[in-house]
Amino acid sequence: MINEFEGKTEQEAVAKAVAELNMDESCFDVEVLDEGHSGLFFKKPVRIKVTVKEETSEEKSAFQQAFEEELSQFNDTPEEDENPNVDPEVVDKISNFTKEMISLMGYEADIMTDSIKGTKLTLSIQSESDSILIGRKGKNLDALQVIANAYANQLDSDCKVILDSENYRIRHEKQIVRMAYRTAQQVKKTGRSQLLEPMNPYERRLVHTALNDVTGIETKSEGEGLFKQVRVLSSRKHH
Amino acid sequence: MEKELVEYIVKSLVDKPEEVQVEVVEGDQTTALELHVGEGDIGKVIGKQGRIAKAIRTILSASVAKDGKRTTLEILD
Repeated sequence: MINEFEGKTEQEAVAKAVAELNMDESCFDVEVLDEGHSGLFFKKPVRIKVTVKEETSEEKSAFQQAFEEELSQFNDTPEEDENPNVDPEVVDKISNFTKEMISLMGYEADIMTDSIKGTKLTLSIQSESDSILIGRKGKNLDALQVIANAYANQLDSDCKVILDSENYRIRHEKQIVRMAYRTAQQVKKTGRSQLLEPMNPYERRLVHTALNDVTGIETKSEGEGLFKQVRVLSSRKHH
Repeated sequence: MEKELVEYIVKSLVDKPEEVQVEVVEGDQTTALELHVGEGDIGKVIGKQGRIAKAIRTILSASVAKDGKRTTLEILD
């Protein structure tokens, strides 16, 4: 399938192609036929030839399917309690502690108990300043969670606290899985391995499990310490 | 403000909250908080691989700065 498109710039032409064919940019090859000239009084449009890659679009749909299956594991609906095994008094204390900590930081927030699964307590921070309380890449939310856990451990050494705000945790998990699939696709296409940015053990596990089912792809952790990097590589090389 | 925040967090984590002291040292651009804790409590404030100390510093940096000054935390023993 070959189509031709025109636009003031190459991007515009590509955008038109995406809209018309109802396909992602990665599904087709773009060849620039005419680069266009920006003369003094007139502009000649850029012409591109778009070739849809038949076999890769099939491959992609298999990818897409695996990807959507993976994503469907994370649902946004509130989770039910399962065998709650944390003293309600402890829950209250942790919740109040978190609220007080945030209020001393200079922000107002309400703390809601999302779910209690065994000894795993999920608290949700509701605040107008949620974006700053989450922080860049969840930095501030993670810091609050570390302190909340240290505090909780004194009251009940089994208790694990997860702090969330605006469903950040689930959104973030989805984002990581999405990124993992995108990288895997690129690695498959180019055959070159890619190193992801440093992630904590939980995030790395998400990547490993997400790409576990993808054929022709291997994942490995590299580096030292808590934050290691995952390398995504093509496994075909080794056979 | 930041002093109260650090005091509150640290006192909640240590065994001897009455021995927690935070001194404020005002600088030109930064305010330094010097933290003293009771014997045997310093590990609780620092944590494994400095996780707790790092988290407290992150929380400090995210808190509302009244006069636009940065606040640093020093843990003294």
